[in-house]
Amino acid sequence: MSKTPDPNSTDASGSKSTKEEATIKVPSKDPKKKDDKKDEDLSEEDLALKQQLELYVERAQDADPGLQKVALESMRQEIRTSTSSMTSVPKPLKFLRPHYGTLKGFYEKMPDSDLKKLMADILSVLALTMSAEGERESLKYRLVGSQGEIGSWGHEYVRNLAGEISQEYVKRQSEEASIDDLMELVQQIVAFHMKHNAEPEAVDLLMEVEDLDLLVEHVDNTNYKRTCSYLTSSANLPPTYKLFSFDSGTIVKIGVDLLHYEPYLSNKVLRKPFFPIFSLLWMCQFLSGGSQGVKTPYLPGPDDMLVLDIAYTIYMKFEEYPSALVTALYLDNTQYVKQVFTSCDDLLRKKQFCYILARHGQTFELDEEMCAEDEEREGLQEIINNTKLSEGYLTLARDIEVMEAKTPDDIYKPHLLDGRASAGASVDSARQNLASTFVNAFVNAGFGQDKLMTVPSEASSGGASTSWLFKNKEHGKASAAASLGMILLWDVDSGLAQIDKYFHSTDTHVIAGALLGVGIVNCGIKNECDPALALLAEYIDKEDPSIRIGAIMGLGLAYAGSQNEQIRSKLTPILGDSKASLDVLAFTAISLGLVYVGSCNEEIAQAIIFALMERSESELGEPFARLLPLGLGLLYLGKQESVEATAEVSKTFNEKIRKHCDMTLLSCAYAGTGNVLKVQHFLGQCAQHFEKGETFQGPAVLGIAMVAMAEELGLEMAIRSLEHLLQYGEQNIRRAVPLALALLCISNPKVNVMDTLSRLSHDSDSEVAMAAIISLGLIGAGTNNARIAGMLRNLSSYYYKEANLLFCVRIAQGLVHLGKGLLTLSPYHSEHFLLSPTALAGLVTLLHACLDMKAIILGKYHYILYFLTLAMQPRMLLTVDENLKPLSVPVRVGQAVDVVGQAGRPKTITGFQTHSTPVLLAAGDRAELATEKYIPLSPILEGFVILKENPDYRDDQ
Amino acid sequence: MGQGTPGGLNRQLPGDRKNDGDKKEKKFEPAAPPARVGRKQRKQKGSEAAARIPAVTPLTKCKLRLLKLERIKDYLLMEEEFVANQERLKPQEEKTEEDRSKVDDLRGSPMSVGNLEELIDENHAIVSSSVGPEYYVGILSFVDKDQLEPGCAILMHNKVLSVVGLLQDDVDPMVSVMKVEKAPLESYADIGGLDAQIQEIKEAVELPLTHPELYEDIGIKPPKGVILYGEPGTGKTLLAKAVANSTSATFLRVVGSELIQKYLGDGPKLVRELFRVADDLSPSIVFIDEIDAVGTKRYDAHSGGEREIQRTMLELLNQLDGFDSRGDVKVILATNKIESLDPALLRPGRIDRKIEFPLPDIKTRRRIFQIHTARMTLADDVNLEEFVMTKDEFSGADIKAICTEAGLLALRERRMKVTHADFKKAKDKVMFKKKEGVPEGLYM
Repeated sequence: MSKTPDPNSTDASGSKSTKEEATIKVPSKDPKKKDDKKDEDLSEEDLALKQQLELYVERAQDADPGLQKVALESMRQEIRTSTSSMTSVPKPLKFLRPHYGTLKGFYEKMPDSDLKKLMADILSVLALTMSAEGERESLKYRLVGSQGEIGSWGHEYVRNLAGEISQEYVKRQSEEASIDDLMELVQQIVAFHMKHNAEPEAVDLLMEVEDLDLLVEHVDNTNYKRTCSYLTSSANLPPTYKLFSFDSGTIVKIGVDLLHYEPYLSNKVLRKPFFPIFSLLWMCQFLSGGSQGVKTPYLPGPDDMLVLDIAYTIYMKFEEYPSALVTALYLDNTQYVKQVFTSCDDLLRKKQFCYILARHGQTFELDEEMCAEDEEREGLQEIINNTKLSEGYLTLARDIEVMEAKTPDDIYKPHLLDGRASAGASVDSARQNLASTFVNAFVNAGFGQDKLMTVPSEASSGGASTSWLFKNKEHGKASAAASLGMILLWDVDSGLAQIDKYFHSTDTHVIAGALLGVGIVNCGIKNECDPALALLAEYIDKEDPSIRIGAIMGLGLAYAGSQNEQIRSKLTPILGDSKASLDVLAFTAISLGLVYVGSCNEEIAQAIIFALMERSESELGEPFARLLPLGLGLLYLGKQESVEATAEVSKTFNEKIRKHCDMTLLSCAYAGTGNVLKVQHFLGQCAQHFEKGETFQGPAVLGIAMVAMAEELGLEMAIRSLEHLLQYGEQNIRRAVPLALALLCISNPKVNVMDTLSRLSHDSDSEVAMAAIISLGLIGAGTNNARIAGMLRNLSSYYYKEANLLFCVRIAQGLVHLGKGLLTLSPYHSEHFLLSPTALAGLVTLLHACLDMKAIILGKYHYILYFLTLAMQPRMLLTVDENLKPLSVPVRVGQAVDVVGQAGRPKTITGFQTHSTPVLLAAGDRAELATEKYIPLSPILEGFVILKENPDYRDDQ
Repeated sequence: MGQGTPGGLNRQLPGDRKNDGDKKEKKFEPAAPPARVGRKQRKQKGSEAAARIPAVTPLTKCKLRLLKLERIKDYLLMEEEFVANQERLKPQEEKTEEDRSKVDDLRGSPMSVGNLEELIDENHAIVSSSVGPEYYVGILSFVDKDQLEPGCAILMHNKVLSVVGLLQDDVDPMVSVMKVEKAPLESYADIGGLDAQIQEIKEAVELPLTHPELYEDIGIKPPKGVILYGEPGTGKTLLAKAVANSTSATFLRVVGSELIQKYLGDGPKLVRELFRVADDLSPSIVFIDEIDAVGTKRYDAHSGGEREIQRTMLELLNQLDGFDSRGDVKVILATNKIESLDPALLRPGRIDRKIEFPLPDIKTRRRIFQIHTARMTLADDVNLEEFVMTKDEFSGADIKAICTEAGLLALRERRMKVTHADFKKAKDKVMFKKKEGVPEGLYM
């Protein structure tokens, strides 16, 4: 990738050259001193060797070819047989150094013959230590030499050659010279590396010479896994950037020159073709502000895709279908997914594929080509539709023995707080009850039973259930009714039956809640008869806005990612309805965004854009108007460049929303890409200071997190950058920072982030404190983390008089105990490789809502919290047998270790404990089977994994 | 209660207003100061730890590693850019200047240096100065309370003794002395022979710091430390000097006896400090000469002093291979009485390599003679071979002594050249001293 002649940036040569220096330097010090006194201090054998070699050199220049040959042969023998420690140059090479020049001179005079080739070989090896930096003599002589077995001269030689090849390649590319002879050598080297466990070096060399296809021929059964893991993790660090150091003076000058063109730019006709200048202008402004350098994409975007393509091909070649499928999903290539299905004819493995697809949250229809048998296909489709999720989850819960429902008080643990807080809480306000409703819903999510909403079915009619429901006021009742959906999450049949009773209510809020509840129950589950659509469709056009919102949001949750035509045709008209209130509009936009997440659907984009254009300026200032661009952004989630046309249009919006829209679109489009340029862009936006009233910096801060969450390094570095934002930023930035931290470490309570958030939770600005508290909940979501729980308990007594803050604390407490610790909110799965778009969409929606806490969550739209349902997934490993029945086997669970690029078979987990499945996996954990009795059908042990009996297994007894 | 006003300065929170001193109030207090944590934790989130960049996993030099490092560099550049921008935008240079002088006024001069014993609440602490009693004093508002921790060195107002500042550098001055600032002049070239020993120490100490990937490739953990042992004068310290000369890592050198302190607990504390500093400055090499001063075998000690020395050694054991892992800290020990050392000190895992320094053989002797006579003006009749080939046991130091002695003899007679006779006399003299007065050849 690095085309610079800088030796440190080339892979093998980098290691080479530094090592070379290290090896040469040390001994070179003493020989120099000693040379004065000549050979005295050499031991006898060394002296003999030296004389011998000198003799060879002399003989090699002899006129008699026979004598020459013998001399050269024995010289070669000496070099090959010499061994040395890694700290010094082999002795023969050392002694031959003074003669390098003579031999070179003699070589030129030699007539073409085999002997000349032999000589070239030896010179090539000598050049290893002798040739000056950048001369590439080793390569030169190698090319004219006898082309013999490359490995015979040792690893060091091969590495050096590889380094020189990459330099030569760059040179020849720029001169457009032929590279055939080089490629031949590359072939040899790659074959050598692959044979000797040096896959990374082979891959690096091929990347240098831009010919990864060669790799496919050379991988074999033993090394393809390591090769592919290296490839995929290289690709996971998407486009590299080369930093050019610009003199900032020049940049300012360019900028000023360009500014002269501005009058022309105001002409609307000209504006479009001149767009590149706009962005350049922006860049210049940015740079003139004392920046260090400008980054330009060094590697064209599709290159990392190419790398993954190769990985996919290799996986397919070795029938490692699950990994191929995962790679295909990363590439978002439906064609490849289909190919995986068609090329595998084992039903059991196909079932495993379906589990992977189901976890990814993608709607996928199997056709006959992929599975010929109707009956089998139905079975497979059922798995993809996630219908078994609830069952598996409950199995896990029963095994871990957490079936018993928990009350909010079990979570608050007031008895640990010594009186005061509970005394304060005894004033039973509606806000308290609402908080309890949410906590109850989060904690008992998916268990199908709780102690507030479901209990009273056995009690007489109008028992506690209704009374709990009616302990909430107005809009609170909507959330309460919807919480029933959360409790019965994924269990469509009984869920719909239980929610049904609320449809007969006369209270509009209860009906709205019931509608939402239906959506929640169906979240992530697809059902043949589409009950959600059937139930909700008729309510969409009702008069009452709360019922409408309930129905719209329900549809969004139930059909997220499905790209369902019917929903689009039902919901788009609302966007065009100028009478619809802004909140209805906002929820419609988000629901459409969710259903068509990452689809780049033009029509919906148009509809949302029109809706934004039509609204008056004052309306656009409302908090809800800011959710419309989010809906637009979700359409382009992770689609990078595809967003540009829309972003261009958004520049024509009213200035109140323009920047906000721009930030939201960009952050969504580049979410999960790790694109450093975008992070820089967002940081640049946050660097500005404004008077009050600018809202776009919030999405910009979230944008940093969304882009950087892709890989571990970016994540840690982004956390550092956010610290700086906290230090320098204005209030509106400070409010967004905790939320960004939450997104970076979702369901992954890192201690340093926890400390930062804990500090912010005592901030003097109550909005910062609220955001920090919710974020504490989010980073600990579903972990039962005792430290966070303790912090929150203390906060609850600290803020016991502040209703708003207390509400946030309660929600956070509920989140920490999400699903009694069985759930995760992390959108990443399959060993942090794949990003589930719907899960991310749900999280982002919530975080955007949290940017304006007072208006939305603390107002009457608290049910926006239910968008988290999209991200909820059991963090389990459930092994099933061939009939998909749960099977208990011992597994080792421990901290995952990054083994990419390591030789041998290193341990993949550390500090493990042995459990029997089903088990919980925390963030950063990895599992491996502790028994040889079964073979897992997927290399990634997460979620549902089918086990096959090992035919070779033999019991010890 | 009697503890002054709890709660922060800038915090107007409900909890603080309700300061009626009931019991619940007191129980709740610990929750309020958020960033007040113990010493252990400070280490993790101290400024250095926060500044540390994440670890990059494949240690092998490959493109993936390059990409990752470049990614980190990109982020660092962005940070730099952002911070530089913000600093530039920050106005009010003058105002800070004004504030600063005000703070200086408040601090007064001179300030006395003391020790923070205990933090009572946000604004009060118990302090002590090196002499005299402890005081309960206030902490001024401009002192960064996040950095205050029990045991740190603070500045106190000279009259009211309130805390007005803190001393950042909490490294024990004893330790900072140990750091070798100026590399010794001796290099590997000054060592005659000892080729195997040089190679071993390089593999064990230098290479793990410069080329960790080699060890990763092979799949072994690099050794943590080595012990150099052998007769006196065989070049142990010389080799350590050469290591210090050639390495770019921080080199800390201690003599075992330095670790023995007057007061109880000071020795172990010094050892702890030593290794903490080594860790902070890593990659680093710690060289402890004459380790037998503290590392002798444990036995029932009678005096408090002996017990204290043993405790110092126990601390050393813990630091070498204890609970906390030391990453890039390598340890070199040197002794000439390895058999008297405690076996626990020498077990693999603590000291993985034992390098013996034998008396020089003939070849080495010749090299040593050459090194020492290289700058001497020798008469033509000098035949060094005679001394090289003798049966007597010389150490490197003996040879040096012979050369020096011969030079001195020549000086005595005002000769400009050193003759063979000088050397002979010198040798007899040195050997006589060495054999404790028994003249050579008496019983032959």
